[in-house]
Amino acid sequence: MAMGTLDPIVLGHNSFFGVNHLSREQGRQRDAVFEDVTRIVDMMRTAASLDVAAMMMSTHPRAALVAAAVRRDPELRERWTFYPLLPYITKYIRQSNEKGLVNVVLDQLKQAGWSQGLGMVARSGLGFLTKDYRRILTTLIDLELAPFQSLRVGTVFLHDVLTDLALALDLPELLALHVEAVRNRFDARGGFATKNLPLLVDRLRRYGFERPAILAQVNKAGFGMNPSRSRCEQTLQRTDLEVMAMGTLASGYLRPVEAFEYVFAQPAVQSIVVSVSTPEHAAETFGAAQAAAARQRV
Amino acid sequence: MPSGPLRVGVIGFGKMGLLHASIASGLDVSRLIAIADPTTGVLDPLRRFKPDLSVYEDYERMLEKESLDAVFITSPTHLHASTALACVSAGLPFLVEKPLSARASDCEPLVAAVARTRLTNAVGYMARHADTFRKAKQIVDSGVLGRLVHLQATMYVSQLFGAGQGWRYDPAYSGGGVLITQNSHLIDLLLWLFGPIRRVNGHVKPYYSEKVDDFAHAIFEFRSGLSGYMDASWSVRHHRTLDLSISVHGHTGNLQVTEDDVRLYLDEAMGEYQSGWTIFRKPDLFEGVTIDVGGPEYTRQDEQFLNAVATGRPVESNVQSALQVQRVVEAVYESSASGRSVSLEPR
Repeated sequence: MAMGTLDPIVLGHNSFFGVNHLSREQGRQRDAVFEDVTRIVDMMRTAASLDVAAMMMSTHPRAALVAAAVRRDPELRERWTFYPLLPYITKYIRQSNEKGLVNVVLDQLKQAGWSQGLGMVARSGLGFLTKDYRRILTTLIDLELAPFQSLRVGTVFLHDVLTDLALALDLPELLALHVEAVRNRFDARGGFATKNLPLLVDRLRRYGFERPAILAQVNKAGFGMNPSRSRCEQTLQRTDLEVMAMGTLASGYLRPVEAFEYVFAQPAVQSIVVSVSTPEHAAETFGAAQAAAARQRV
Repeated sequence: MPSGPLRVGVIGFGKMGLLHASIASGLDVSRLIAIADPTTGVLDPLRRFKPDLSVYEDYERMLEKESLDAVFITSPTHLHASTALACVSAGLPFLVEKPLSARASDCEPLVAAVARTRLTNAVGYMARHADTFRKAKQIVDSGVLGRLVHLQATMYVSQLFGAGQGWRYDPAYSGGGVLITQNSHLIDLLLWLFGPIRRVNGHVKPYYSEKVDDFAHAIFEFRSGLSGYMDASWSVRHHRTLDLSISVHGHTGNLQVTEDDVRLYLDEAMGEYQSGWTIFRKPDLFEGVTIDVGGPEYTRQDEQFLNAVATGRPVESNVQSALQVQRVVEAVYESSASGRSVSLEPR
């Protein structure tokens, strides 16, 4: 494990937002518990008492409430670093099933006060979207990141659906734009979530991205590792990238101690993001992760 | 037989067009050559970022101008059948998104034309390619459940809680509401797993929508003797993603399958399976894919189709099987309207 800029242990948002990749039923139960944002803040205090003060946060509607609670509390605001993951893609997929992809983008722009732009759509079609694509994409990124204004932001990860679309379509401009917008607006680093780690790393090198920050599934079960666990392991041997590992427990399928030993033994892994749902669970999980991280550092 | 990567075109550039275009572009077996969409300006971003890609407002012009090996059809539902028929005339293998058409009668000429020409074709019922449903199919086909008796199947997603916008909510374009749109996946899975349905009792209800169903219920009697119910809605709370669940009771065991897991219970050990519970969770069943954009099931589906184009092998989910889905959907609507059961057996 190389020393780097990512916090070694990052509190995940999944249980707070009803996401559970192993059991949707359990996801729904957790979602009900954390509907009360004070419970999320309580969990942050528990985590901080265990020396974990960094948090992954998708731009779920609940994220704005959490961010507001943190802003009001000087101690939390001082101590915590956020790793936003944007956009909250499930919302866009549902909306686009409902009203089509183009209307989703237009509605977002309307929300950002783009009435002028919408008038142009009426007059000249969507062509204006590309004429001014930088400003539009920057507006969309700003809109997503607005809740994190005046909080400490570590790396802002682009959601894997968008990263992987750009990867599949070979569109380096979009990836570069994310990095640029996040740097200019937030003075933070832009990184990429992906479901195709080896392919992305090869491509980023070809595109000329230096030392990219990448959020990807890494676990001993090989769950979610495309095209295969062994190909991902080869990529994870490299030291010219910084990987934040997610899905390290394969959504609770693996036991923490063996799971974290495996993950932190991968040279490219600097950091893990892991969800917890109770104080006991937090103590066990973070304890195992800190021990595994420390052993690799020696 | 084409040499080198297959040259792919995409017709319709909404969410599904973007997805299939990306997969076709990301796979080694194919190259994305051209996209057609009549919506003014929707292709401008591509013109800018992908200057090598040919873009057309008129798909017929694309079929005429480009020498393509395969096409993905992702236009609105009511255009599927006529567009696919144009591909048949051009001798071009196609994958068309589900549902196959707004009305079953619209796709009958297409099914007949495909039967005549034996053109490679596929319909986008991708749930068949999800790890858990693939496993369920293996178990059902193995016969360990014994005679199948009773079925419960549900599909829920929290999507619509007000009047919807666009073609999806006009039955002339979409064919109907949740029953034909997302729930056609569930009906396709049921037919794939359990064979033909012979009788349908249905009930559908709009609530948030004016003209299409937001809730659908049906009792199905299968030719095999299996019977049970299906319940579907896009207007229920607490389902952030589309959740499918199928539960079947057999003489010697039962099986429940969702996207999360497969739960098998057997009275006695049989074949490769033990007595009592056997649970397969997603990590047990996971197999990596070449490139994952939007879910491994889409990659598997598109790879299967493109490989079929290269080898001339047939695809299991095709216009013929998709027509059966349309017939079941229409039987549910018909039964709901008439208050009577509807037979699907040939008279």
